[in-house]
Amino acid sequence: MTAGAKGAGMGSLRWTILATALLVVTVLGITLGETAMPLAEIWKGLRGEEGPAALTVRFLRAPRVLTALGAGACLGLSGALFQRLLRNPLASPDLMGFAPGAGLAMMITLAFGITLPPPLVSATGGVLAALSVAILAHRRDEGLAPLRLVLVGLGFGFTCSALAAFLMLTLPGPLALEAQRWLSGSLAARGWGHVAQIWLPGLILILLLVLQVRALSLLDLGDDLAQSLGLRAGRARMWLAATGVGLMAAGVAVAGPVAFVPLMAGPLGAAITGARRIGPALLAAALTGALITCGADLVARAAVPGVGLPLGLLTGLLGAPYLLWRLSLEIERGGL
Amino acid sequence: MSDPAGQNDLEVRGLTLGYPGRAVLRDLSLRMPSGRVTAILGPNGCGKSTLLRALGRLIVPQGGSVQLGGRDLRGYEPRLLARRLGILPQAPLAPEGITVADLVGRGRAPWRGLLSGWSTADREAVARALAAVHLEDMAERPISELSGGQRQRAWIALALAQETEILLLDEPTTWLDLPHQIEVLRLFQRLNRERGLTVISVLHDLNLAARHSDHLVLLGRDGLVAEGAPEAVLTPLHLARAFGLEARVMPDPVTATPMVVPL
Repeated sequence: MTAGAKGAGMGSLRWTILATALLVVTVLGITLGETAMPLAEIWKGLRGEEGPAALTVRFLRAPRVLTALGAGACLGLSGALFQRLLRNPLASPDLMGFAPGAGLAMMITLAFGITLPPPLVSATGGVLAALSVAILAHRRDEGLAPLRLVLVGLGFGFTCSALAAFLMLTLPGPLALEAQRWLSGSLAARGWGHVAQIWLPGLILILLLVLQVRALSLLDLGDDLAQSLGLRAGRARMWLAATGVGLMAAGVAVAGPVAFVPLMAGPLGAAITGARRIGPALLAAALTGALITCGADLVARAAVPGVGLPLGLLTGLLGAPYLLWRLSLEIERGGL
Repeated sequence: MSDPAGQNDLEVRGLTLGYPGRAVLRDLSLRMPSGRVTAILGPNGCGKSTLLRALGRLIVPQGGSVQLGGRDLRGYEPRLLARRLGILPQAPLAPEGITVADLVGRGRAPWRGLLSGWSTADREAVARALAAVHLEDMAERPISELSGGQRQRAWIALALAQETEILLLDEPTTWLDLPHQIEVLRLFQRLNRERGLTVISVLHDLNLAARHSDHLVLLGRDGLVAEGAPEAVLTPLHLARAFGLEARVMPDPVTATPMVVPL
């Protein structure tokens, strides 16, 4: 009821731009690759007709693109959710040590030959790391100040990465190679199993999040007012945080710790679409997360012919300048 | 909403508030009459706001209880309590970029189902709340563009859209200039007369409180000093005990309510 009629035309144009960009990246992801193929062949392959393109498209490119879209959406949503929940544009799980923590946990299970489901392992490691960072950075008087959170997160992240690198030395060659790729984030060799692995939990978590959008909009008013409006603020916050952790863990489990996607997706999505209300802003974050991840993966495999660059490298190239800009903004505002 | 038997009074029984080892209020018992405008007064640090927060179930008492309709607040399901009692904190946070209508609409939360959209009742409540604070024309404006007085009125509209019987307000007139203070206090009086709304607010200005309230609660550093009608509460003796202030009390030349003149 509150969406003003004026500005709606402008808003829908901006949403169209985001949707079109996502569509273009998806189509490019399926059509571009090491083996150049005519579009007609690819279309045949997609429709299930036999031909030279069938194998490449159906078993290599389509699952890879779908995994990228799902993982990107989950990572983007997770970041935007935590940024809202903690009222801090830098409080995204990737900056809070979640990803390096997840990586370290994966390394520990690999190094000691423990077999556990990867999503569970990465979630546990990530949560432990993020909790440690939050506790270390928290001050009674000022809560989670943006700069302290980032510095503690980076420091903790480096420690986790160093430990993970040390553990990697103990691994035999092939396993170490796989681990290396996992640590920097990669979407190489994703199959339909990975598509299911991201989209099934992803869709369930997104549904859970939809049910909590109203609670989030009340928490946005501060705990006192949220409680006055009938919300059990503490419980609602716990559920939202659990959903955010689940989204992050799902994304990291299939794509690895793709740096900066959670940090950037929310603010970029809001900038592109102009979305201010929570529901649309989260949708924009999911679409933008998918766009960045799929786009970065596209560049990662097409930039240097014959060489698949790590996905995390590409998102890092995009994310590091963003982080610096954001930090300078916070310093100017005196928020640090 | 007349309530002669006081069944919907907010009642405080043996209430102790504070932190372990440092009680802000100890063993306080009083009754906030329903259908009236009550002001809680007292010096800084006497626990006025703490008391209000306990009345609004934002803090858990260390001892005693707050009861509504004879039932402990803690026994209420949060959403059901939120339909009867709303509290507006002192310095609420406005989410970035939120519009007036969006903010006020959130006051409908206790009345809406998890997935249900906006009902006619919701729309009407929001429209009524905006009209009550004269912000109808500002509905689509971002809160950040409003003046201090308008912003405060937008928050009050949120609390009104909640359509509770009881409204608790923590210093609703701070940050407002005198004309706006009076406007806000008159609004509460009007809502009380027209809709039977019970208003309980923490106020600083003794004379304004006397003018615009039916019932006063005066706290001192050691707890309750007096409660009752303004004439009975604002006496030189009580003021000396609560504030350590030497003052003369005379009838307000305009309203004949007690007027405090410090010596």
